[in-house]
Amino acid sequence: MVLELQKPRPVWQIMFSTHHTDVGYLYLVFGITFLFMGGVLAMIIRTHLFFPGQNVLVSDSATFNRIFTVHGLTMLFLFALPVANGIGNILVPIMVRYKDMAYPKLNAIAFWMNPVGAALLWLGFADTTWVSYAPYSIIRAPGPAADMFIFGMKILGISSILSSINFVVTVLKCKHPDLPLRRVPLFAWSMLTVSLMTIVAMPTYAAALIMMLTDRLGLSGFFNPFAGGDPIAYLHLFWFTFHPEVYIFLLPAIGMMYEIIPRFSRKPLYSQASGVFAFVMLGIIGFASWGHHMYSTGMDFTTKVVFMIGTLAAVPASGMHVFNFLATMWGGRIRFAAPMKFAVGGIALFFSAGAGGVLNSAMPLDFISHGTYWVVGHMHLFLIGTIGFGFVAMIYYMFPYVTGRMYNEKWASAHFVLMFWGTVQTFFTQHLLGLEGMPRRVYDYPTDFTSWTQLNQISTVGAWLIGASFVIFLASLIYYSAKGKPANMDDPWGIGGKYYYPVSAKNPHGGHSGY
Amino acid sequence: MKTTLIAISIIAVLGVALVSQIHFAHAQLSQTTSAKQYLNLRAEVWNEFFRMTTAAFTVGAIVSGTMIWLVWRFRESNPKNKSPTKWEHLEDPTAGSYEEEGH
Repeated sequence: MVLELQKPRPVWQIMFSTHHTDVGYLYLVFGITFLFMGGVLAMIIRTHLFFPGQNVLVSDSATFNRIFTVHGLTMLFLFALPVANGIGNILVPIMVRYKDMAYPKLNAIAFWMNPVGAALLWLGFADTTWVSYAPYSIIRAPGPAADMFIFGMKILGISSILSSINFVVTVLKCKHPDLPLRRVPLFAWSMLTVSLMTIVAMPTYAAALIMMLTDRLGLSGFFNPFAGGDPIAYLHLFWFTFHPEVYIFLLPAIGMMYEIIPRFSRKPLYSQASGVFAFVMLGIIGFASWGHHMYSTGMDFTTKVVFMIGTLAAVPASGMHVFNFLATMWGGRIRFAAPMKFAVGGIALFFSAGAGGVLNSAMPLDFISHGTYWVVGHMHLFLIGTIGFGFVAMIYYMFPYVTGRMYNEKWASAHFVLMFWGTVQTFFTQHLLGLEGMPRRVYDYPTDFTSWTQLNQISTVGAWLIGASFVIFLASLIYYSAKGKPANMDDPWGIGGKYYYPVSAKNPHGGHSGY
Repeated sequence: MKTTLIAISIIAVLGVALVSQIHFAHAQLSQTTSAKQYLNLRAEVWNEFFRMTTAAFTVGAIVSGTMIWLVWRFRESNPKNKSPTKWEHLEDPTAGSYEEEGH
């Protein structure tokens, strides 16, 4: 299955294949393409905010709203989910020692729903924000953009549910009989957890989307205050799905780190059991904290306390992952090749993002930070600092496997340095901007507020560094997949042990981490 | 022993977090709308913020410090880390995990 470049096939053969690796490649190409499209929108946003009062790049607030809406939708649903699904498609069947996903045709259908959903989101270019809160989204948001958003999200949601069913059945029902569930590799566990979470969470949002559509058509008034509806009800339905969705984005990245860290530390994972336990705990606790997005909506005190405790309950499980990573590295002989650099950087930023989240979950502090740039900084630290770093680490890790060639370690190091520095500079600064009181999603701000101007400019320079790092990344992916040195497929980094899964897959009684 | 220590640590962290929140919650419950009390509550909120920030930075310094030391100490280019570890003599150094292999 390796080496499309060494044994090229016609593109249509890959496009219409139902084999799990081919579908995985399609997901990866799709996700990485939209990473760059969403990234361009991010650069436009940040460059615009570098020059307050000058309308640079964006001339009106309505366009600005559309840009940040589509940026958010793209990064979450067209980059993060597809990349996790792509890597999951390639590795999970191999990890559970099965020939393919449980339902290959369903798998391909689930993928091909993504371009349709993406087309609706990008051609509509809605201005509802990615959360599309009522009543704006049902009363004022202009159609057909908002309607295309609803249908696009509907299709992407169905795709998520189909692929989740596939992962659950593959792991639970198709794994090799000799492989106990507790010894299934932690990346597969992470995919199993997020798939179960998706199946539980997503139908609620699917219902909310239908209610939103019928409200927009004037057939109902679920969220329309003029028709006796309650906009807050939409928030409950939305966050019941999308707070767990935060973990759905996050856990695959953590699972990828579990693949990389023992390999480059050249020693066994510290604790498989605690990793499994922490995944399951986060999968459950993820549903206990949606209300913390809504403290300022007039929720009663007792409910807020419950949600605050539910949110804090995620801390021990997250801490178990960090502890597991550090304990695995302890006593090893660590090779800091690109995958390991990104994995360790991701752990550091995961911890920082988590610390900010703990402050955020405390209800009195939430009233200060709610709706400010603090929240933007916090969630981006998770999304780029942890999920982005985890995904990039895994892409470098799988590069020899997919292409049969090696990337250039110096360029990868340059990518890491720029991306790490840029992430810290951009998003730590945005926390400070939030404390200075700058609201999120603003098109412009007064030039009299010099601290806002300075902090925005610092943040924007950081964003440009991230952008530059991804230019290096893209150039490396393209150039070295065609011109890179052929990789030693048994051990591309010269770190000993067995590099890769096909070896283990052919040998059910040996190999990596027991699979 | 290890499990007990971890459990105690988790309970302690949760305890500190919750006690500070309950303390603030009482202040919030007793709030009124007078300007003086409003300002007091603002001060209280920021006190809470700085307390929690101090706690976060302290824990953060410990974890980050540990991570930086780990990276420095256990990198393969460290002179103390030249010789292969015991796991590297195995066919696959990453096979299994501590609890399975009895390391």
